[in-house]
Amino acid sequence: MTEDTAYRRLETAVAPASLEAVFELLAQWWPEVGEVPAETRFGFETAVIEIAGNIVEHSRGDADDRRFALELFADSAVLRATFRDDGDPPLLDLETVRMADEDEVSGRGLALASASVDDVALDRDGDRNVWTLESRRT
Amino acid sequence: MLQVDIDTRDGGTVVIPRGRLTMVSAKSFRETVTAEIDRGSGEIVVVDLSQTEFVDSSGLGALVACLKTARQSGGDLRLAAPSEQVTMVLGLTNLDRVLRPRPSVDEAFRD
Repeated sequence: MTEDTAYRRLETAVAPASLEAVFELLAQWWPEVGEVPAETRFGFETAVIEIAGNIVEHSRGDADDRRFALELFADSAVLRATFRDDGDPPLLDLETVRMADEDEVSGRGLALASASVDDVALDRDGDRNVWTLESRRT
Repeated sequence: MLQVDIDTRDGGTVVIPRGRLTMVSAKSFRETVTAEIDRGSGEIVVVDLSQTEFVDSSGLGALVACLKTARQSGGDLRLAAPSEQVTMVLGLTNLDRVLRPRPSVDEAFRD
């Protein structure tokens, strides 16, 4: 017998309106994932939306036809989101990301994503950026 | 998707964002609330978050910007009745220290 897994994928334009498609994908996926503590669920969803927002905000470059893919995967141990986009490599080091001060209007996205899940990784695979987010279920 | 309702009361305004306050809606939300702050200069603006399903970092930035504008005009901006997700992101970003959420709109006006 194979282990229960839940998998959903979308590929869409690098554009603000695509955030709604990401929310929809999450809404389809959660019922298949099974029981998840509210804190884990809200944290995972927050991190997914922050990374989607980061890709939309920073990866557009000069190409209008850029796209990103999102895969959502769950088994009994982890929740995992993988983003792939063909934007320029982000000029950042996740190790040094820190939360903006309380009076700052911007600069919280990546720090919030990092604080909301157990692991955030950014790798370069050929000409693509690969973001991986993971939350452990236990 | 976000709809913003405005309820004007004695001594203040209640802003009710319904839906998700994200990078898609943060700019127009900020403009709507700034217009209300300008109109009722020096008054209290309460953002009733009971119908706000989700807030991201852009939405948090809009709330911080609105708080600054309200205080510069001699008023204040207060949050009421945040959902579990919103309470979580306010805590993780330490913004619960400056945007101390109150349990209800009435308590936000009293405090």
